[in-house]
Amino acid sequence: MSATRDVALFREDAVHAHAPAATGVWSWITTVDHKRIGILYGVTAVAFFLVGGVEALLIRLQLAVPDNALVSAPTYNALFTMHGTTMIFLAVMPLNAALFNYMVPLMIGARDVAFPRLNALSYWILLAGGIFLNSSFLVGAPPDGGWFGYTSLTLRQYSPGLNIDFWLLSLQILGASSLMAAVNFIVTIIDMRAPGMTLMRMPVFAWMTLVVQFLIVLAFPAITVGLIFLMFDRFFGTHFYDVAAGGDLTLWQHLFWIFGHPEVYILILPAFGIVSEVLPTFARKPLFGAPVVVYSGVLIGFFGFGVWAHHMFAAGMGPVADAAFAISTMLIAIPTGVKIFNWLATLWGGSIRFTTALHFAVGLVAMFTIGGLSGIMHASPPVDLQQTDTYFVVAHLHYVLIGGSLFGLLAATFYWWPKMTGRLLDERLGKLAFWTLILGFNLAFFPQHYLGAVGMPRRIYTYAPETGWGTWNFASTVGAVGIGVAVLLVLVNALRSLRAAPTAPADPWDGRTLEWRTSSPPPPHDFDSIPPVYGRDSFWREKHGDRHGRRPPPIPPLVEPHGIHLPAPSYWPVVIAVGLFVAAVGALSHVLLVIAGGVIVLAAAVAFALEHHREPTHEHQIGNLAVDRRKIAMWTFLGSECMFFGTLIATYLAYRGRSVTGPYPHEILNIPVTTLSTFDLLMSSLLMVLALAAVQRGDHRQTRLWLLGTVVFGLIFLGFQAYEFTHFVHEGLTLQQNLFGSSFFVLTGFHGGHVTLGVFWLFTLWVLEMRGRLAPRDAIKVEVAGLYWHFVDIVWIVIFTVVYLIP
Amino acid sequence: MVTPPVSTAAAHADASAPAAPDHASTGTYVKVAVILCAVTALEFAVIYIRALTPILIPLLLVLSAGKFTLVVLFYMHLRYDARPLSGLFGGSLAIATGIAVALMTLTGAFLVFGR
Repeated sequence: MSATRDVALFREDAVHAHAPAATGVWSWITTVDHKRIGILYGVTAVAFFLVGGVEALLIRLQLAVPDNALVSAPTYNALFTMHGTTMIFLAVMPLNAALFNYMVPLMIGARDVAFPRLNALSYWILLAGGIFLNSSFLVGAPPDGGWFGYTSLTLRQYSPGLNIDFWLLSLQILGASSLMAAVNFIVTIIDMRAPGMTLMRMPVFAWMTLVVQFLIVLAFPAITVGLIFLMFDRFFGTHFYDVAAGGDLTLWQHLFWIFGHPEVYILILPAFGIVSEVLPTFARKPLFGAPVVVYSGVLIGFFGFGVWAHHMFAAGMGPVADAAFAISTMLIAIPTGVKIFNWLATLWGGSIRFTTALHFAVGLVAMFTIGGLSGIMHASPPVDLQQTDTYFVVAHLHYVLIGGSLFGLLAATFYWWPKMTGRLLDERLGKLAFWTLILGFNLAFFPQHYLGAVGMPRRIYTYAPETGWGTWNFASTVGAVGIGVAVLLVLVNALRSLRAAPTAPADPWDGRTLEWRTSSPPPPHDFDSIPPVYGRDSFWREKHGDRHGRRPPPIPPLVEPHGIHLPAPSYWPVVIAVGLFVAAVGALSHVLLVIAGGVIVLAAAVAFALEHHREPTHEHQIGNLAVDRRKIAMWTFLGSECMFFGTLIATYLAYRGRSVTGPYPHEILNIPVTTLSTFDLLMSSLLMVLALAAVQRGDHRQTRLWLLGTVVFGLIFLGFQAYEFTHFVHEGLTLQQNLFGSSFFVLTGFHGGHVTLGVFWLFTLWVLEMRGRLAPRDAIKVEVAGLYWHFVDIVWIVIFTVVYLIP
Repeated sequence: MVTPPVSTAAAHADASAPAAPDHASTGTYVKVAVILCAVTALEFAVIYIRALTPILIPLLLVLSAGKFTLVVLFYMHLRYDARPLSGLFGGSLAIATGIAVALMTLTGAFLVFGR
């Protein structure tokens, strides 16, 4: 079916007399359309994928023959570090994000994501982080400490240059981008599904997207904290990873892998979702055991938080920890195996059409199974000890991430390309690319199992001829070139398709889900009317009925009495991203640039926040949950903050008794003074709820009073903290003095930073109120700020107990 | 035809209007504040009572958890809000707590005699 434009279409920019910016570079810079942002993500990710691919080819060329000197050892270190970092954070994750952006709103029958401008901000911050990371090549300081960045290799003492600084700052920037996007998609999927689309009627790809967003929200804070510690050690001389001062090097490994293992599922679960869409479409059968596939995905995500230390069996954790993580790792194979059998059962007896997309999807099932089987070997600590840091692990991870993620992404490319572009890809060229890839991939990586088993270590830049590794390394390099050829074939296919006339119909594959119900490519408003949902595989049922051919009685189109609302473009996301980039550059060059970047970010963030203040279209953002979306987003973000502060507090508690020099906590903590500041913060929470109640009932005088009171109490708390910090410094406790000082100041300092941000936020609301721009309909803004403020309060309740009161 | 602007959420006609505030009364807020202050004072006092030393840590943790819960339920309105919000926050809090405890265990924070 084709979309028609005879709908009541309303644009905000018409109200604001902004010229509609539908074409040209500026329209792309300011776009907030989820489909365009999806394309931006896709193009950016492909560019970085090519960069990461060239790095991989250089690695393989260097290892093709023994004693090779194509690149030096330091260059080789940089190549494998940048290859891993780029492929994970700048290629596969953004390629997944491209699909989330483009497809998920269409699949759930929404017109956009919950927060379109935040969506744009996520993209521009990703681009800023990617450019910043790769600009390290321009100054001759590419990161070279591995994508895992193990301390102490990455401490200033052993990596004195800017290399690791580039790496850790860019990862922080990329993490911010991922977190924003994750909150956005959680709210979108929870709250913006078309009427009738219950969670269990939702396409599996949307389900896997939801699981992945929760993984991002809860996993990224761990690496954020680990990177903060590393940054403080490198920039400010703290001792988090300083063994001589009592620090623990395995702390980094824990923090990294608490993030790193869920990250594997962040990369692979979207591919599982893609396969779960592609196989039923081309087998012309429903997904076998679809609810079980969904539950398995959720279980994989949940178990993903309990297996991280299997990456550390060689670190000497002891038999109890080894056994616990071995069991949990083996358990996670169960839901993964369930999915594989369900996919096979979906194909069984199906009326299969052997399209290119199906080839890649079946290729994923086969290749990922090989990677999964070698993964089960790693779950056994004695076996893992033999395989750790050998090429066996390299083979395993590439079977998971190429055999899984990349095959899935290529299946998605051939499946959804017509929807995105209105053009079909060449199937013959596509199948040629598939066979080239599967041959090249297996030639590149299967021999690495053998190389690892006979003892070839990872991350060596060359090897002696006597080792006997030359033959299989050469074969592996030939295979890698084959992968490169396959990628080129896909690119040629895509470019040829883009130069052809748009001829793809809306539903070229006889699809099952809602995205095929609108035109190819979809109109800006996605659907002329919100699509009806008849059950799982709704569009299929609408076209073909159930298995007996009975079609559901047609549901009349949903009446949207106020027409269609499309969000207006915004340039503030780009400005904020530029500010972040400037601040990051400043962190490596001059503090004034940090300040300048910070000012840009702050000013642009305020402008961003107030851009649509009091605009009627933004007043009520209510969907499936009957709760304002901003509130859902804030609660989701606070969940992430739980992980952030939980990790900081755990580190403090782990380190509090380990300082090798004083002052020690019991010698310096002033509990009576801190009790007073605790009273003060608790009372600020009371004033905050009174302010909310006042704004809800339209009492301006009390709103001003209580908002200002909250701000003043917040400032008093900060005054207490400033007094305490100053006193401690006079007593000899500084960030650099000992492990207690490092962990205490970072924990309480970050809490203080949160209080400062809350004070600024509430002060902004107070200014709005003073200018008469805060009415009862704006109460949600006060409520969301209040949630943040109360969270800061409950974090302090925990800190007060575990840091100050517990001896 | 150009129609007046509203969010697409208006499609959910039954939920398009904001729910009336269903929060605690001012009196309840004040009572909660009084309890929070009283418990804080109690926390401060118990650390000086030598007889409570054997149970001091669990006692302080329980008191702290009580204050935490009060703020979340009443000031953050989870007691009155949609259940999924409790799930969002409670689930995240549970995972964060579990990981924090596991992290402390694995880094030796609970070793009585040090490493």
